[in-house]
Amino acid sequence: MEEKTEKLKNEARKLLEKGQVCRIVGFEPGSLKFTTTPLITGEKDELDRLVINPFIVNNLSVYLTGLKGCVAVVAKGCDSRSIVSLIQDNKVNREDVVILGIPCSGIVDLSKIEYLVGKDRDELDDITVANNSITVTVGGEKREFTKSKVLFDNCLGCELPTPREYDILIGEQVAPSPALESGKLKELKDMPPEERWRFWKEEFSRCIRCYACRNVCPACFCNRCFVEETEPQWLLPTPHWQDNLLFQVTRTIHVAGRCTECGECQRACPVGIPLRSMTREMYDLAGELFHYKAGMDKDEEPLLTAYEVEEAENFFG
Amino acid sequence: MTVKKIAKKELARLLDEWSRQFSVLVPSVETGVAQMTGWQGEDTSFVDWYRNTILPPKDAILPVMEEMFSFSKNEDGYRLEMSPPDSGRQLIFGIRPCDARALAMLDVVFKQDYEDTYYMRRRLNTVLVGIGCTNPYDSCFCTSLSSGPSDTAGLDLMLTDIGDEFVIEAVTEAGRELLDKSQGMRPATADDEARARESRDIANQRVTQNVDVKKMPDRLLAAFDNEEYWRKIAAKCISCGICTLLCPTCYCFDINDEVSDNRGARYRSLDSCAFCIYTKMPVENPREEKWQRVRNRVCHKYEFYPRLFDTIACTGCGRCIRLCPVNWDITRTLNSIPGQ
Repeated sequence: MEEKTEKLKNEARKLLEKGQVCRIVGFEPGSLKFTTTPLITGEKDELDRLVINPFIVNNLSVYLTGLKGCVAVVAKGCDSRSIVSLIQDNKVNREDVVILGIPCSGIVDLSKIEYLVGKDRDELDDITVANNSITVTVGGEKREFTKSKVLFDNCLGCELPTPREYDILIGEQVAPSPALESGKLKELKDMPPEERWRFWKEEFSRCIRCYACRNVCPACFCNRCFVEETEPQWLLPTPHWQDNLLFQVTRTIHVAGRCTECGECQRACPVGIPLRSMTREMYDLAGELFHYKAGMDKDEEPLLTAYEVEEAENFFG
Repeated sequence: MTVKKIAKKELARLLDEWSRQFSVLVPSVETGVAQMTGWQGEDTSFVDWYRNTILPPKDAILPVMEEMFSFSKNEDGYRLEMSPPDSGRQLIFGIRPCDARALAMLDVVFKQDYEDTYYMRRRLNTVLVGIGCTNPYDSCFCTSLSSGPSDTAGLDLMLTDIGDEFVIEAVTEAGRELLDKSQGMRPATADDEARARESRDIANQRVTQNVDVKKMPDRLLAAFDNEEYWRKIAAKCISCGICTLLCPTCYCFDINDEVSDNRGARYRSLDSCAFCIYTKMPVENPREEKWQRVRNRVCHKYEFYPRLFDTIACTGCGRCIRLCPVNWDITRTLNSIPGQ
């Protein structure tokens, strides 16, 4: 990790020095234990703060549409797919962004560790990540977990741990993981519809409409979200569960073919709604119905904005 | 004031007893997120796991959403029906000192120039029983704000954990009355009080985040026009509403009518100055750019509010830090204001 971090710092410095980019978007250590935080900087003396470790949770491509080019961005496999998707949608010009690709062996889901050891993040002494296992030290005692127990769900079946689209690759290629996805989606699909409806009613009853799910999502790039339209008002801001559900269903459909399964929506949700069950289903449907995987190829036509004249119109019928 | 004690194993019985006069709220994860919900009896295990809730207890007084009145239209004209808040008495058990202080800050807003019926009716019917923190988070910074994990300000009763028992101290007259009437209390001995003091001292030392808030309003005023600074610190903010909606001292709300056919209702729900459409309905959002909105959140709490009401509108609960998806840390900002 330290080797990768050093390489990243060097590459970032060169890019700034040569004037190839105006800003670097990467990670630096966060203010809290075991956290990282985005670092967006054009100052060379701040580059020493850059870091690569198994806690770099954010999908930094979310900043690209706002920064409008002249930027180098650190991207894990899933993040690189988001960038590709933004390129496909003409939201980002390929030549305006330098992709600093990070082959990724999975990101640690601190909430899983908290659950397994029964302690909060800030009560843990140490977390050491090895090839296949993670050792957590808490109260002086070491506990070892297989990686599949403590990585984010979306990392478990990651199809592209090493970015395919990049300018500089920081580190060795990582092979895709076998699908080890935990069973939340299957559990939901196996539920009778009434039960599933009750499940989502309960989940969305606690939504406070903070829109963190939308704002961390690189695929949610609309200048004005449909919930912000007031004439006509599609949806009231009052967080009734029905409206909350409708918001999320609409959002999920809007990002179909753009969502790369980075899992940021679920991670950001402060009230713990399993949003990835929705996005994953949409991702799978795009695959099943259209043989489409978002953000794999920048030259591919985007799924829902490309249209052939010959295409049947009974779709609406 | 009166100081008593109660064994932890007696707690369920005490809450049952209080439930006969109050609707008692306790910390729980029953809804899938840590928040104050109705006491269901028996299970007091929250005493062991609970550090603070994710949804602040202000929710019991200023809910995320509430109906204000309903209306309908028929041949005779319009009909309006008030939807008054439940006027029953409620007791919030286990509220943390930071969140209790926060309610005092909201009080000023909701009763100073105009008395808000919805807020005040709930507020006046609410008794606050706090438990001092023994295990503050690494994001807590209450001690920087003339407070601490055992601050009693704003509470009616304060509990201090001394192992198998709680020392209970009456803070207000209402608290004393409740304590005197409650069964199963024993007087606290000098030794108990000494242990409570020790417990408080340890907790105080465990708050490690530090912010220098001296002359904060003036320093922020001086930095107000430093656009470069605010742009820089705002760069990573994603403009979601977590830091504001889950803040115990934020009170902005929006009002909307829900109408279908000939009937409807008016709701108010929490709003956030982080949103780009904030105040868009009446006029325009004067803070179109993200850095202006970030500046507003910081300045509202640390400059405008203290100028108006002589106190900083932040209690250092740390929710905005630990729940932020990008770890945007207000303490870092406050400690880096230019010109310090």
